[in-house]
Amino acid sequence: MNGTERIMGTLAGTPLDRRAFIPVLSLYGARLTGCPLERYYSDPAAYAQGQMAVNKEFGPDLLLGPFAFALIGAAFGSQITFSSVQPPNIRKPAVASLEEWDRLVLPDPDTNPYLLYFRESVRLMAAGLQGSVPVGACLPAPIDIPALVMGMEGWLDMVLFDRSGAQRVLEKVNPFFVRIANSLFAAGAMVAVLPCAFASPAVLMREPVEALMRPALKQALEQLDGPSVLHHTGAPLLEHLDILVGLPSAIGFALSYQEGLDKARRVAGPDPVLFSGPHGPGLAEQDAGQVEQVCREILEERGREKDRHFILVTTGADVPLDTPPENIHAMRKALIAIGWNVSADV
Amino acid sequence: MDIQQSLLEMIRQADRSGANALLDAWAGKHGHERLLAEVLEPTLLLIGEAWRSSESFTLAQAYVASKVAEDALLRIAEQRKADEVQTRRKGPVVIGNIQEDFHSLGRRMLGIFLSADGWMVHDLGNDVPAAEFVDKAVEVGARVIGASAMMLTTARNIRLLREEIDRRGLTGKIQLAVGGAVFLVCPGLDKEVGGDGTARTAIEAIGLFDRLWQESVGKEGGP
Repeated sequence: MNGTERIMGTLAGTPLDRRAFIPVLSLYGARLTGCPLERYYSDPAAYAQGQMAVNKEFGPDLLLGPFAFALIGAAFGSQITFSSVQPPNIRKPAVASLEEWDRLVLPDPDTNPYLLYFRESVRLMAAGLQGSVPVGACLPAPIDIPALVMGMEGWLDMVLFDRSGAQRVLEKVNPFFVRIANSLFAAGAMVAVLPCAFASPAVLMREPVEALMRPALKQALEQLDGPSVLHHTGAPLLEHLDILVGLPSAIGFALSYQEGLDKARRVAGPDPVLFSGPHGPGLAEQDAGQVEQVCREILEERGREKDRHFILVTTGADVPLDTPPENIHAMRKALIAIGWNVSADV
Repeated sequence: MDIQQSLLEMIRQADRSGANALLDAWAGKHGHERLLAEVLEPTLLLIGEAWRSSESFTLAQAYVASKVAEDALLRIAEQRKADEVQTRRKGPVVIGNIQEDFHSLGRRMLGIFLSADGWMVHDLGNDVPAAEFVDKAVEVGARVIGASAMMLTTARNIRLLREEIDRRGLTGKIQLAVGGAVFLVCPGLDKEVGGDGTARTAIEAIGLFDRLWQESVGKEGGP
């Protein structure tokens, strides 16, 4: 089976040769090709080459488009900074007030160079993989985009103390989100992976997530031309998962196994795909044996042995550059050792 | 319900204006000079406890707490003469996000909570090189530097600050507090980057700064 068959089989709940796995290796491709990060995050060909190297080295069942959200902020005018060890970061947000939001001209996915980078990277990857391995487009959920444009503090402040202003900002951001996400589907992405920090119970209370964020997500997601996976961003998600279940286009949820995957399954219901596994940013701190052990525990001892709609991933942000390759291979090793050990009666 | 519990509940509800009105009413009756020690500081301790022990306490609620504390500090400052405003009972301390880290929210909240606890805080902002931290600490006589980082990659830059403190022969005299989201998910990272201590929350960091300040004094002697 190839990656596309495993992902489709997981969605359908049909038997596979082994479970699918998706380490978050957007950054790691630069290590494999020795590409300086500033070039990697600005040249689609360099990015796609890095992901082809990831495919060759690790054989994941899905490859990710650029996981570099500061570039979305840059498209809106935020100043960014490049690093030699991590994806770019926002140095200075573009917008400081609601009035500036009102005057802001939205970036055009068809002409803005930062946005074209995302699209062209996905297009090159999809063309190179020819359907054997699907491409996932990483985008910030529309509820998180304002934080990239006005800073985390500015957006949090508006959500808490100016609800109508926050509503106005989301109404402005949503059409932009839909346009860029659909341009990535058109370029060949199979699924959109959408971190949702502002749905996390570690970030916001239940009320604003229910009253403000869910309606905005619903409005955006129902306009997508493809499926989406709502991602935990590295923060807790489970206590608010019920708010997100049933959103249009959302076929699955990525969250930390330490939150409790059995409970996540009960809340999500039988059909959505759950994505979980070892913590990606921490992968460099362990040895291969520990990574394999964590994967086996998740797959064999935490109730996943009966779950056909489960994919092993690294959670949180990118796997760091200095992670030994054998730690990533350990995920695959655990899967192959276990095989398709899923009860036939489920 | 006493004033501290009432304030805590309003912060839980993200009711900033209600919290401010409550504090104004209390200060009108008892005086602004008592607000810090009798209401704000004990309430921050309650919030710190709730934040540490309850998964239902959110970043947003901690942010509301920081804004309520900031609002109160501003009103206290307005009530005092300029020279009194400058008077702080603790510190000085230096804080900042380590080189290449631009996630300022936690650091800014820390600065507000430390100020509300009476510390003189020198906030150097984002992306602060190791030498700049130490230069400022030496200049103002700080015994504690607080370095913040959100990502594992940037947290590792704190090692450079550890090396700079040690290289200048200030080990022990200047204590290094480290914190940020990544320290919550990577146990032992504080030791790995050379920190003298860490705290799970910005409010809990108040106690950490107290402890590290005393350790510096104990190590060297002095005030």
